[in-house]
Amino acid sequence: MAYQLYRNTTLGNSLQESLDELIQTQQITPQLALQVLLQFDKAINTALANRVRNRVNFRGSLNTYRFCDNVWTFVLNDVEFREVTDLVKVDKVKIVACDGKSESTQNKSDKWSVTQTPQISVCL
Amino acid sequence: MANVRGAVHKPKLYKSVIEDVINEVRELFLDEGVDEQVLLELKTLWENKLLQSKAVEGFHTEEQAALQAAAQQQQQQQQQVQVQQVQQVQHVTQQAQAQQVILPPQQQQAPQQQVIVQDPKILQHMNATGMSAAATAATLALPTGVTPYQQLITSQGQILQVVRAANGAQYIIQQPQQQILLQQQMQPGGVQAPVIQQVLAPLQGGIPQQAGVIIQPQQIVLASGNKVQGSTQVMQAMAQQQQQQPAQAAAAQVQQVQQLQQAQGAAAPQAQQQAQAQQPPMMLQVDGAGDTSSEEDEDEEEEYDEDEEEEKDKDGGEDGQVEEEPLNSGDDVSDEEDQELFDTENVVVCQYDKIHRSKNKWKFHLKDGIMNLNGKDYVFSKAIGDAEW
Repeated sequence: MAYQLYRNTTLGNSLQESLDELIQTQQITPQLALQVLLQFDKAINTALANRVRNRVNFRGSLNTYRFCDNVWTFVLNDVEFREVTDLVKVDKVKIVACDGKSESTQNKSDKWSVTQTPQISVCL
Repeated sequence: MANVRGAVHKPKLYKSVIEDVINEVRELFLDEGVDEQVLLELKTLWENKLLQSKAVEGFHTEEQAALQAAAQQQQQQQQQVQVQQVQQVQHVTQQAQAQQVILPPQQQQAPQQQVIVQDPKILQHMNATGMSAAATAATLALPTGVTPYQQLITSQGQILQVVRAANGAQYIIQQPQQQILLQQQMQPGGVQAPVIQQVLAPLQGGIPQQAGVIIQPQQIVLASGNKVQGSTQVMQAMAQQQQQQPAQAAAAQVQQVQQLQQAQGAAAPQAQQQAQAQQPPMMLQVDGAGDTSSEEDEDEEEEYDEDEEEEKDKDGGEDGQVEEEPLNSGDDVSDEEDQELFDTENVVVCQYDKIHRSKNKWKFHLKDGIMNLNGKDYVFSKAIGDAEW
């Protein structure tokens, strides 16, 4: 099972909205929509792992950090994202990162898993 | 693959993801018994939203345009099919069948929903127009509208088609000797019926003057009670017309529609009133609807008004309570600042390889991420960052 992390992206949200519309018009069942989303999770995870090959660097100031349920959430300010040719500056950015090491953890609701090294855990 | 700009790769990446998902899901759809058409519609909706978001550079542009046009046509055809389906029940002409075959199967799946969606708009439109059945009849210059609806259809073998225009208002236009579509206004069943009949009646003579007539929804049947039942109702009404004796086209339709409405428990007393009022056969009523010849109608009207008043009283009571609550809510210390901090639009969704901290220096090692910065989407396979807290 892949991370459901990517559902809150442009691609994922547009898919969810489309599915909702079809459910509204009763063209599909909610169960089927869920299956579609699960399939999307797999596809996007695979695509990102295999079809993308680029690096990005960024620098900024850390406003807040949170580590809960093995998920890091950061809010950075005045950040510069630099790619080989591109430079993008934003005033504020939120980074949500799931554990990239063990794919066995599914979505974020895996509270009781034993994590690796103890990290700073700030659950607000 | 060599180092490629994430921005450039995105359209292809997204496209491939969409293709993969759609293909994988096709089986699921078939297992559920959902038509392929719905799958295509999902794909279209999905791609359209991506285009609208402008987060990705345009892709599938030509296909999108074609698909959008096709989607609109399909929607229109769906409505047409609705009408046709009912009509076919009664009179299935070969031409009608042929047309139905041509139409996409999607019709079966979402006919009523479209009707429902449009009804509110139509209702508003109906109330706005304020045309009465008689006015419409006059406009159409109906002959002594004796011919019943059914005969009109069979004799000409024409099919009434319903089309939903872009603005949600539909009109009925029937061209003689052409089985093309009539654009019918999606109104609660009763309204449609009289319009259709009125249109059909003059057409029976193949009068070209009728071809260009656009009929606006009539008030013959009140919207309030009749929402939704929509074209299906109308069609059913038409279907039932076979059993009725020849009468005024409008009267017969309205009457049947009303019967339907009653059966469905959505009776509109005024509609009935009007229908009944128009029942006197052989005479074309031109002095407007709203006859008060029957006592039953008056009683129903009064009951209907009373219900409205009761609802209004209830709403007034609730409003009073709501006003008191905000007074207390002002005592809270505002928590919104924290919420705003986490309510950013620039989002990066990714996985972390390693997060490191020394004193207040943080280092981030991230991978497989999708970023949305300043409205645009970027992707990366690796990202390394530094920040000071």
